[in-house]
Amino acid sequence: MENSLKKQFLVDTSAFISLESVNLLKQVINLFNIITVNSVINELKDFSKHNDKYGIIAKRVLKFTNKISMEDTDVKEQIRYLQNTNNELFNLALKKKIPLVSDDHKLVHHTKDKIDIYFSTFFLTAFVTAEIISKKESLGMLEKLRDIRNWKNNIIYLTTKEELEKL
Amino acid sequence: MQTKQVNIRVPTDLLDDLDIVSKLLKVNKSEWIKTKLAEDIHKEKNQLLLELSNLYTKGIISKKEVQNLVGSEIANQMESIHKTAKRSVKAGIEYGKQLKKAISG
Repeated sequence: MENSLKKQFLVDTSAFISLESVNLLKQVINLFNIITVNSVINELKDFSKHNDKYGIIAKRVLKFTNKISMEDTDVKEQIRYLQNTNNELFNLALKKKIPLVSDDHKLVHHTKDKIDIYFSTFFLTAFVTAEIISKKESLGMLEKLRDIRNWKNNIIYLTTKEELEKL
Repeated sequence: MQTKQVNIRVPTDLLDDLDIVSKLLKVNKSEWIKTKLAEDIHKEKNQLLLELSNLYTKGIISKKEVQNLVGSEIANQMESIHKTAKRSVKAGIEYGKQLKKAISG
């Protein structure tokens, strides 16, 4: 697909990690115009210094850096509950009027009424509907994304699973 | 971190055991109890909220019931995450339809 036809999405650190943990980031970058801010890349670089699970995934994400668009913006509207990187992403989403993809519950909670913000599971249902991946594959990926078994991820898992099974 | 004093009565056998543990590990008894208690509470809280979130997401209990059990902060968070997860799925399906057209076209 031509670059000019690609839909734009802003992506934060948590969503980059989620998407790459199920090997979906390459396809997302090929099919969409993915934008982020420098602070996200710096966060990924910090993660990559560690040799744990997230460090290894962050290293893999950083290999795509040349295919991700970087943009900066002034923080004109500050949400006090959010850290700087998240305020940058929020302001860029406001300015460019494009959706932000994040698995950071706090960021989602404080911005959901002001911008279009989705969990990374957005791409799972988009790809199943577009027949890029099968329903079975998507359910397997969803299971992997549930890896961090806290109650917040559990809600995302159950809600998405129910909807995916209807497709 | 703010702290509060809690007085609890424990069996003397348990205190004797705690003495042995603290001597062998060369740790402060109070610090050791606090660490163990924090670990257990965190684990138990997550497990219970996981079960509560199952019931809420499956529609077995309402937001109001969650609120009555654990307070409005957690109930609001549960509702917010559930709504965003649903919205993400629906938006994904809509974009998926456009994507399918763009790829095949």
